[in-house]
Amino acid sequence: MELPLPLLWLSVLLPVLLAALGSLSQGILRFSVILSALLFLLPGLLGLYYVGYLDAQQLRDPFTIGLKEYSLGSFSLLLDGLSLPVTLGISLVTALVALYSLKYMEHRIDELRREGKQVPGMGGYFVLYNAFSSSMLGMVLSSNLIQFFVFLEISLLTSFALIAYYGYGDRMRIALMYFVWTHVGGALFLAGTLFYGINAGSFDVLLETGYNRAFLEVGAEGIFALAPLLILLGLLVKMAVFGVHMWLPYAHAEAPTPISALLSPNLIGIAGYAIARFGLSLFPSFMKGAADFLFLLALLTIVYGAFVALKQNDFKRFLAYSSISQMGYLLLGISTLTAFGLAGAMLHYLSHAIGKAALFMVAGVFITELRGLRDMNKMGGLARVYPAMAAASLLGFMHLVGMPPTVGMWGELLILLGVVQAFNPLTPWSLLALSIALVLSFLMTAVYSFYAMRKIFFGAPKMGGGEEMDSFKGSVLLIAALGLLLFLLGGLLVPPAQGAVELLLEALR
Amino acid sequence: MYEPLFPWALAWLAPFVAAAIMAFGMLLKVRDERFYGYLSVISILVSALVSSQAALRVFSEKKPLYSGGDFVWVPWLNVTLGTYFDGLSSVMALVVSWVSLLIAIYSTKYMEGDWGYGRYFTFFTFFVGSMMLLVLADNLVLMFIGWEGTGLASYALIGHWYTDEEEKWVGRPGRYALGFPMFFEPSHSGLRAILFTRVGDIALLVGMAVLFLTAGTFNIVELAQEVPSWMGELSAKGILSLTLAIFSLGMLAKSAQFPFHEWLVTAMTGPTPVSALIHAATMVKAGIYLFLRFVPIVMAGALAIGAAGELYPYFLFMAAIGAITAFALATMALVSDELKLILAYSTASQIGYMFLGAASVGLLVGSLGPKLIAEGVVAGMSHLASHAVFKAALFLVAGWLIHAAHSRFMDQMGGFAGLMKLTAIAFWLAGLSLIGLPPLSGFFSKELVIHTALSASPIIGGLAILTAAFTAAYTVRAILRTMHLPPQAGKREGHEAPATMLAPYLVLALASLALGLGWPYLARVYSDMALLTLSLNASYIPEVALSGTAAAVVGLVLLAAAVVFAHYYLRPAATSALLGSLKPVYDFLYDRWYINSLLYALFKNNGWRLASFFVTVDEGIDYTYHSGMPFTGGWLANLLRSLHKGATNYYMALYAASIVALILLMVILAG
Repeated sequence: MELPLPLLWLSVLLPVLLAALGSLSQGILRFSVILSALLFLLPGLLGLYYVGYLDAQQLRDPFTIGLKEYSLGSFSLLLDGLSLPVTLGISLVTALVALYSLKYMEHRIDELRREGKQVPGMGGYFVLYNAFSSSMLGMVLSSNLIQFFVFLEISLLTSFALIAYYGYGDRMRIALMYFVWTHVGGALFLAGTLFYGINAGSFDVLLETGYNRAFLEVGAEGIFALAPLLILLGLLVKMAVFGVHMWLPYAHAEAPTPISALLSPNLIGIAGYAIARFGLSLFPSFMKGAADFLFLLALLTIVYGAFVALKQNDFKRFLAYSSISQMGYLLLGISTLTAFGLAGAMLHYLSHAIGKAALFMVAGVFITELRGLRDMNKMGGLARVYPAMAAASLLGFMHLVGMPPTVGMWGELLILLGVVQAFNPLTPWSLLALSIALVLSFLMTAVYSFYAMRKIFFGAPKMGGGEEMDSFKGSVLLIAALGLLLFLLGGLLVPPAQGAVELLLEALR
Repeated sequence: MYEPLFPWALAWLAPFVAAAIMAFGMLLKVRDERFYGYLSVISILVSALVSSQAALRVFSEKKPLYSGGDFVWVPWLNVTLGTYFDGLSSVMALVVSWVSLLIAIYSTKYMEGDWGYGRYFTFFTFFVGSMMLLVLADNLVLMFIGWEGTGLASYALIGHWYTDEEEKWVGRPGRYALGFPMFFEPSHSGLRAILFTRVGDIALLVGMAVLFLTAGTFNIVELAQEVPSWMGELSAKGILSLTLAIFSLGMLAKSAQFPFHEWLVTAMTGPTPVSALIHAATMVKAGIYLFLRFVPIVMAGALAIGAAGELYPYFLFMAAIGAITAFALATMALVSDELKLILAYSTASQIGYMFLGAASVGLLVGSLGPKLIAEGVVAGMSHLASHAVFKAALFLVAGWLIHAAHSRFMDQMGGFAGLMKLTAIAFWLAGLSLIGLPPLSGFFSKELVIHTALSASPIIGGLAILTAAFTAAYTVRAILRTMHLPPQAGKREGHEAPATMLAPYLVLALASLALGLGWPYLARVYSDMALLTLSLNASYIPEVALSGTAAAVVGLVLLAAAVVFAHYYLRPAATSALLGSLKPVYDFLYDRWYINSLLYALFKNNGWRLASFFVTVDEGIDYTYHSGMPFTGGWLANLLRSLHKGATNYYMALYAASIVALILLMVILAG
């Protein structure tokens, strides 16, 4: 169905303008930040409001940019059951992190200026921040490959600038590293997209009637057959799976913390969403062939990321490795090519977005309030000083582990169902091997999560002081608590995923 | 056919709502202890009353009460918010809610002045809600939510005193076994608890996934009705026993069966009422409860498709684990010198009894029939109920004794009998029930288990009997040392517990006597309730009081008790000398058969090794991309740059050489 107003485009385009206006004067900045946070929330809330339609239908923005004369198809924004959990994750995280940024970035910009660095002030930060957030929403709501790529580029450039300006450590070098890596991924994706689109005669993925099946009918020969491989490789680099993950720990650990909270759960996960959305609808037989490889890659990524995370001492770097591991779960769900697995992966995106954002935000609270404290060995007993942050962290970790009463449980359950289904018919040996692999990989998240909980929050307190609740820490607690609400809404979130993934999987049959 | 959602869902919902309110209270920094205490007690009372009302209905109408089975929460997976009271779940719900209520009342006094009072009651109440949900859920997903909730509460409460002061530890500070510390801080114990049980939880989820994908439903009632079809399918694939074993791993981990018992032992760092409730009376029973839930379903299915023989390995596995746990943990309890630790060993050991009792029936392949199945379930269920009552009493008594002695070690305790008579009476009553002496409830339920086990296998039955003797020995030893012998260190002091603490354990101890005296009636209730349980369609009225085996077991138990009495009470000096000469055996038992050290050596050490290896790999990848490749690129650039010297003659020569090379290449390719 079509929305009565172009609300989706509004929430993608308006925040940047608002931030630009806000940068004019300190007085209206706060107002413009709050207004754009509400705009970020809009797509997610729209999705929940129209959730009944999303099962098998799209929610379309009435405004479309027709580019047929340039053979690019048309750019429109739409929401369906597959993108609902992802959109909701981005909406919630970008909105709350915007509020969180107010105090954090003021502190960070002060700090940088005291070091004598020339950096743009709060206005400039929010222009970049809003462009970055909007571009992520744009990617998820895109109906067209080129449109997706344009938003992808915007997100990469803005996040590059944010790291370069406001990051920590050797931030120029790390920003450059980030830039190069993400553009390797971007270039691969673009090459694949061009091969695909020129061959198929259109870059549209989703038409008003449903998925564009043009390519399936045309087929591909010669160099055009490389399209799916290039797209997949590009997205895997973006997703930071094992082997091409090395840029992530640097970028996500050294980015300014609000940006880490967007990069780590949201941006990289979009690559997983894109593999599901584009890979399965455009290249079903290719995905079938790649499924076993992706399954093993997913398991390796989960276990590898988790074990390396265990050995990290820097809180943010620890969280960054955890994100690599979590991308493994997303890929695991997708690699099953089952409705359960795919729906589980999308719900895990949502749960990881909330959980990891909360955890990064907690890390940021310590950085601002405890003189840049990031070394986990120097923490310990912090629950006595920061009980609400301890609660938010516990909730955050529970999202990653998939423990009820957080929304993570639905993702975990569905991914597991998908994996077992993918191995049907089971034999004694396959069941045994599968069980061992699943216990190991799903246990590892719990191991590093609760190990870190103990290291950071428990034990004899090493400092005194008390926790002053303000909107800064309130936003952390709020986002962690939202996962509880979404758990109860499992009945709303799970069924649209079912309808949407079954439409997606049609091409496989 | 379904009752409405309310009021029955209140049995689990009321504590959840209270816990949520308390969490908000903490956020708003409400400091008044009464806010938390009252809210907790009242919500649990609501739960207990609703459960009692439901149980009465079930018992009087002679049919299960099923509410909210049509209230769909997640349509795709058909997860409903159903509350299902049948015979088994009614008995369990009654035990859980009423014992929780008594312990909540005890806690209001015990935790007085604690810096984490609000947090304690929030998690305590959340636990009760989760446990009731686990028991009453009509489908596996809802059950799993309760299951994980109890695990979370257990984690939080074990680590309640997370600042890790030494008096909150468990184990002798400074003691090592095979190089691994045998003392545990609360935060360490919490971590162990959640990770050990998590292993089983994931296996349980995998098992659930297989069941769902085979049977097409998570609903337990439907699973019971359609058991021949899904069991037939699993059997055809040859994965019936394996699937059940994987599914059951969750039960074994939750119920602290060998080798998962390690988490329960160190869970004693939690406040004592928590040990009584979660780690004795309720949560650790979740595993055996789920087992009792599925044993009749699975056995009925096996009879229907003629696959009883195929399940033999599964039931042998379960019975063997139960028997090993019962025996091993009883031997550890013999030498322990921490009162709560003895009770923890005893808990795992007694749950081992329940597993072996219920699983033994599955070994009688030839004669398996409805009646026999009922016998197994009644044995497990009745021991579960009587254990919950007397073990909760024992823990609550221990809590007061530890408070009185200002130490968790028995060395510091002694001669309390003269100082607190009512506590001593409660200790003896509950202790004798644990030992299994008539006419206490423990006697009847334990005899049922032993009877079933003996008829299934002499080895398993023999282990059960031997365990009974050991149980008598460690119980009498603990009571004598704390109550009647003088303390080995420190001085004898203390007074009777305040009423809010005394009343709960006295009530529980008297209840274990009353349940024993009322056994003839109770046996009928259990039997009727069994008949109202899913897939159980035969009645079995247990009669044990007069059997020869029972007399022999009681004789053996008395003998063991007498030996301990003679050694500890009459000749304490000679006994310490004797124990000194048995040091290797003593160490082996005291260090828990070295199981903890072996697990740590195998998993923790190797895990860290693997982590270090992966970190090395990571450094290699980092170097390759971020140093190796730029370096190679720079080197190549220099190489190419060196060709560009700026000398025209040199360029001309190179140009000519290239032309020649090209022509040669073309000739070769053309030819």
